[in-house]
Amino acid sequence: MSDMNALHEDYESMSDEAFRGLLREWIETHYPAHLRNPRRRLGLEESRAWYRLLGERGWLAPGWPTRHGGMGLSAAKQLIYMEEWERHGCARLPDSGLTMLGPLLIRFGSEAQKAFYLPRILAGEHFWCQGYSEPNAGSDLASLRTEAVDCGDHWRVNGQKIWTTMAGHSNWIFMLVRTDRQARPQAGISFLLVPLASPGVEVRPILNLDLHDEFSEVFFTDVRVPKENLVGEVNQGWSMAKALLGFERIFLGSPKQSTHALERLERLARLGGIEHQEAYRQRHAALRLRLDAHRALYERFAEALRQGQALGPEVSMLKINQSELFQAICELALEVAGEDAALLDPLAEDAALYPAGLFIQSLPTTIYGGSNEIQRNILARQVLGLPG
Amino acid sequence: MNEPMHDVDLAERRERVTMLRDSAAALVPADGDLRRVRAWRFAGNGLDAQAWALVCEMGWPGLRLAEEQGGSGLGLCEYVALLEELGKGLAPEPLNEVACLVSLLPAEWREPVLRGERLVLPGHGAGLVADHQGRLLGQAKVSLGKAAHGWLLMNEDSAWLVDAQGLEGQALATQDGGHVLALALNGVPAQRLASSPEQLRRVRDEAALGVAAYLLGCMQGAFARTLDYLKVRKQFGREIGSFQALQHRMVDLHIQIELSRALVEETAACLDRSVAPGEAQRRIYATRVQAGDAALRVCREAIQLHGAIGYTDEADIGLFLRRVLVAASAWGTQGGYRQGYARLIAEEAFNG
Ligand SMILES: Cc1cc2nc3c(=O)[nH]c(=O)nc-3n(C[C@H](O)[C@H](O)[C@H](O)COP(=O)(O)OP(=O)(O)OC[C@H]3O[C@@H](n4cnc5c(N)ncnc54)[C@H](O)[C@@H]3O)c2cc1C
Repeated sequence: MSDMNALHEDYESMSDEAFRGLLREWIETHYPAHLRNPRRRLGLEESRAWYRLLGERGWLAPGWPTRHGGMGLSAAKQLIYMEEWERHGCARLPDSGLTMLGPLLIRFGSEAQKAFYLPRILAGEHFWCQGYSEPNAGSDLASLRTEAVDCGDHWRVNGQKIWTTMAGHSNWIFMLVRTDRQARPQAGISFLLVPLASPGVEVRPILNLDLHDEFSEVFFTDVRVPKENLVGEVNQGWSMAKALLGFERIFLGSPKQSTHALERLERLARLGGIEHQEAYRQRHAALRLRLDAHRALYERFAEALRQGQALGPEVSMLKINQSELFQAICELALEVAGEDAALLDPLAEDAALYPAGLFIQSLPTTIYGGSNEIQRNILARQVLGLPG
Repeated sequence: MNEPMHDVDLAERRERVTMLRDSAAALVPADGDLRRVRAWRFAGNGLDAQAWALVCEMGWPGLRLAEEQGGSGLGLCEYVALLEELGKGLAPEPLNEVACLVSLLPAEWREPVLRGERLVLPGHGAGLVADHQGRLLGQAKVSLGKAAHGWLLMNEDSAWLVDAQGLEGQALATQDGGHVLALALNGVPAQRLASSPEQLRRVRDEAALGVAAYLLGCMQGAFARTLDYLKVRKQFGREIGSFQALQHRMVDLHIQIELSRALVEETAACLDRSVAPGEAQRRIYATRVQAGDAALRVCREAIQLHGAIGYTDEADIGLFLRRVLVAASAWGTQGGYRQGYARLIAEEAFNG
């Protein structure tokens, strides 16, 4: 069905304006009004209907090739796609399958794995979460200890993952497991796909600072996992995951969070009647300028992608700059909110404004996806060539 | 000009400050245990009655009040030291509120308030007016207002006392687990207090200094925990505190704390010696802005340095940020003080 859409709609031959118009009209017609600009990330049940609708339209996976049911968009068109979603205030989907596992399988999975998993992601049947981090393996991910032991016809998994976003709203987890204790840490890790319904798996939600149970701990006790659920070669999981992280960093480096926050800041200033005050205008302008600069940098990376170039470690710049700009905007919004910065809930005057909540939500962006300190280490060593 | 204090006075005051700091342990466990603060959150009417009784038993609400009014007449140096200690342990009690307004209260309210039998909390409303029968109209917000028997409502130049009995407002939950009571007053009986605009301004200014001192405590509490964590959390086979990038961050935060402390203590000392009102206000605003900026920065970075565990409700470090968000919007906002400071120095320059 998606292939048929692709035949009908050759997005790449459309002008940017035409493509934008197509998206915009469809979103405005179909997006459920009550899900615009939600206060927090939506759970599975809240977003399922919209997810299905997008799936039927063939628009779930902008970056996947058309032969796998994606839209096959260039980076430039993907950017437009993101912008239109953001402009309308569409909620983030339970998208780990779409943005993380899918691209990894397309690149490293077997034909059988692609044929089995990809359609199920698009059908809204499998929802995935990412099980990398462990209590003692955060920044030092390579020290992870959750182990998969080869038992002939299956793997036996024991250990614990933590900070697993949306685990409570997923039915599958893709995870890094240790398959060789003797090898160098990075060389003994494999990439495994595990149904969360397997006996021996337990998910315990953790309340985050935004008072929302968005992430969880996931415990594995003698969990049996079929042999064919390993992606790529045994002990090659690290390099595959790293390839995916590069992709995640462009995603996290997109200007969308900062753009969204700046719009909220402006709305808040109008609400407070201070948008013409000189002190505010100067601070707002400084942030807007930083956003302009960020967009320009992002565009360069997008262009490199368009030219079919691989992105190197320098993509870490995007993630650092985006997340810190996002936080700076949220911090000014706190000041603009004045007394209302103390409030727990959205403002009575405008439910899309919750300055303290947005500020709190901006804090983990410098932690997840590889903390900004770790990204700076990468840039210093791998891009600037400074001694390690 | 300011006379230097006599050595005897100074030694005596230092001792009093130390004693007050030590006595704060009654409310703020020395080992940093925040269970009481957690239990207080999102529960009840916003007041831990047992803790408040203790506060009154210690005579803290009357700390700044003249002895002939039933207070202990201590200076700001003592006062800020106590608030700093309470900030370290995030004590949620509205001490700075009550201690600052108690001098404005008529005796029949003041005495039960000092004894802890009644609670009066301040509220601010820009558009408050009294009608010809002395009834109050307008809107006001009172932090923890549900817990109070009376509200002392102020605008720029007047203050009224309103008996809370039978009146209701809308409680808006705050990030720290308390609330702000939003009042819509449509002609409620109110007692206008005999306070001059200068008196009200002094109350507000001293309260702002109190907020700065409390924030100074909050940042130290957050910093100390983070420092401890950096010494125990290991990644890459080492304590993360051994990474220079993090060491530098901690040093920068330490500097921010010391800048805040320097201003808090200097301002308190200056005001105790009495300075010209304009200068007092400028010093207070500077102190409040520095403490507000530093507290937010220290708490934000403390979470970063904890990594994901810092982004949980379970870890105490987040309680500091949530409290700072609330404390820094009491008695005037960060933006208000920043602009106020800019205005004051411009006026000073203009007046030569
Ligand atoms: C909201 C959120 C969602 C998440 N979702 C997921 C998920 O779905 N799946 C998943 O697997 N993980 C997830 N994570 C975990 C995330 O990947 C880790 O938090 C991150 O890797 C950091 O690890 P840590 O939290 O253990 O911090 P630590 O590694 O303990 O770091 C603590 C502090 O030390 C600093 N630090 C560490 N090493 C160095 C160094 N060498 N030099 C300088 N500074 C250093 C860090 O930058 C940080 O500031 C999520 C985290 C958050 C906050």
